[in-house]
Amino acid sequence: MLVTLLKSRRLVWREWLVSYLFLLPALSFFLLFVAYPMLKGIYISFFDFTLNKFAFVGLDNYAALFQDKYFKKSMMNTLLIVLIAVPLVIAFSLFVANTIYRKSELVRSFFRGVFYLPAVSSVVSITVVWASIYDPNFGILNYLTSFFGAEPIAWLGQPDTALYAIIAVLITTSVGQPIILYVASLGNIPASYIEAAQIDRASSGQIFRKIIWPMLMPTNLYIIVITTINTFQTFAIVQLLTAGGPLYSTSTVMYGVYEKAFMLGSFGIASAMGMILAVVIGVISIIQFKYLGSDVEY
Amino acid sequence: MTARMRKSTFAICLLLIVSLVSACSSGGTKGNTDADKATNNGAAATSGASPATEAPSAKKVSITWWNFPTYQALDGEVGKYEKEIIAAFNEKHPEITVNLEMITFEGGPEKLNVAIASNSTPDLIYDAPGRIIDWGKKGLLAPLDDMIPSEIRNDIAEAFWKQSMVGDKTYMYPINTAPFMMAVNTTIFEKIGAMELLPLDRPDRTWSFEEYKAALQAVKDKATDVIPSVFFAKSQAGDQGTRAFIANLGLTTFLNDDNSAVAINTEEAGAALDWIAQASKDKLVISGAAALAAADVNDLFLQGKVAFTINYSAVLKAQNATLKKAEFNEVLLPFPTLDGSPPKLEPYLGGMAIFDNDDADRIAASKTFIDFVANDPVYGSKNLIQTGGLSVRNSITGLYNDPEYEYSELARQFIANPPTTADGWAEVRTHWFPALQRVLLGDATGKAALDDFAEAANQSIANGKAAQK
Repeated sequence: MLVTLLKSRRLVWREWLVSYLFLLPALSFFLLFVAYPMLKGIYISFFDFTLNKFAFVGLDNYAALFQDKYFKKSMMNTLLIVLIAVPLVIAFSLFVANTIYRKSELVRSFFRGVFYLPAVSSVVSITVVWASIYDPNFGILNYLTSFFGAEPIAWLGQPDTALYAIIAVLITTSVGQPIILYVASLGNIPASYIEAAQIDRASSGQIFRKIIWPMLMPTNLYIIVITTINTFQTFAIVQLLTAGGPLYSTSTVMYGVYEKAFMLGSFGIASAMGMILAVVIGVISIIQFKYLGSDVEY
Repeated sequence: MTARMRKSTFAICLLLIVSLVSACSSGGTKGNTDADKATNNGAAATSGASPATEAPSAKKVSITWWNFPTYQALDGEVGKYEKEIIAAFNEKHPEITVNLEMITFEGGPEKLNVAIASNSTPDLIYDAPGRIIDWGKKGLLAPLDDMIPSEIRNDIAEAFWKQSMVGDKTYMYPINTAPFMMAVNTTIFEKIGAMELLPLDRPDRTWSFEEYKAALQAVKDKATDVIPSVFFAKSQAGDQGTRAFIANLGLTTFLNDDNSAVAINTEEAGAALDWIAQASKDKLVISGAAALAAADVNDLFLQGKVAFTINYSAVLKAQNATLKKAEFNEVLLPFPTLDGSPPKLEPYLGGMAIFDNDDADRIAASKTFIDFVANDPVYGSKNLIQTGGLSVRNSITGLYNDPEYEYSELARQFIANPPTTADGWAEVRTHWFPALQRVLLGDATGKAALDDFAEAANQSIANGKAAQK
């Protein structure tokens, strides 16, 4: 009996060891390149860390940020981008996926490819193309609007339009993955459910609300959380198109982090900005999990 | 079971979220303090071998050189000319290995900041005073005084030394220069028959605001597919152009004589900014300037789509030679002034500096390399020509057989004290382009925007000064 118990424990121990050995490479990378920078970032945020200074300042960096009107503006811009872009990405992706998922494989593949292309293209290349589209003097957008008698607009040069111009670019680069996921999820909904509802004379709207939407909840949760996180971290498009301007109208928190850390060498303040953003994202993710994750069956 | 799974999934997701953001925002590590560095600088200066006075050591040393595209690319390959310099250097100094890393003007400054913060700086950098003097003030560089003999020191104008020194210590070895100016596409003026509107019949090419406006109007009236002139306010890059343009139209300078306070917030400079905003609406100046960068407008100039650009120099002319998309003749001009009086031009000044990496051998080897780059009998002038710039040495002239270089030599008389060595300069620059944007977008008058800029910039200068103590 004792021998059997010892053998069994040895087996469990060996299994445990082997499992962790398999995990070790990924875990090492995670600890080195994710967990360590994260902890270091938290640590640095309590220091006045510039090119020639490293002094503990407690919560001063955080206090300074809450007094900083440009940081507040950047946070508001970021929230606005998330509030506008995330619902639009979800709605547009779902609309496209719902339109194409019952088409032939060839048509599905074509549209998936078309919408996924921006996701696999370099954001720099895409942004350069958009910069030429938005160009106030030689851009194709003003050329097209001129046919309707519109005066040329500096799309990226006016605070009223610049943020929305950025959001438009962001949406085009964000819909690829959600469309692929929605098409796959829609394909997994048993046709018999929908046929049964149709026999019961359910309308298209009712079928979508009562059958399709609930069945998509796991996908929705994933897409909404990931899209929200990615949108909160909008940086490259802003840096390349407007550098946060004009008049800070397109400055985002991530652009502020870049500006403070890499242009001004204020790494402590930049880390504090990153931490505040992480907390905001964390809180919003908790809310999303709480309200969208309740009906999800894994 | 499901509940536990949910909780663990939730915890992992939260950890990933925090990790993602913090990984992006972490700045790296920092070891030495400024006090340590300052102490080490002194030690390095005294222990570093002077190439001017000592024979090269046989000890093998490896140094790293980060270089912006200072030299024109050889055969279209960035860094090829630098490799040629290193090969020539190694014929004389085989004991010194020079590891070259090319950095870009776009990403290089950020890369340098990260390198400084993480104690992984190169040994050598070829850059301008704006950054170098800031590093010098922060005690990050090795002084170079022991490698500058009196005949060289006396051969370089005091204005250049002023930009290369902090107090009585030299941190940048000045090599090449050229005054920043504007440029005109004269082919457009030839086509519209308006060459007489340009000040090219005057040897010093000085001209007034009214003459400039007349030239712009002629382009607008007669060359309808061409934008008369440009302005830009998207970001910091090329801001010397906007600074000098407005300062000259306002008969002032950007900062005061000792770079301790803003001087550009005059009524005249404010009026000049107001004029730019109005001229943009009147199609005399490019529209959408608030979202245009210096590189954007220079691209348009190189495409032959604009008549004047306001951020040019002999160096940029040489560097842009292969980037021209249209056949046209470009001529350098000084900025117009309100009354036609001689302008005040900011100089481009390039030179080399050594990061103090606490290694006397590497500092000494770096000095030997700088001496070769600047003063080698063969490569000294060859290197200068490859930069497209003029020598800072008074005794070295006539490097080029080109009228624009001859004019650049002449325009050196207009060079004024540049603001780039002011305390807190990096932060001062961040206030400038938003001030321009406010005027361009009708958010403030020129004077109000300049006054607000002055208040913010003066505070940055004070902060920068305080940080030195």
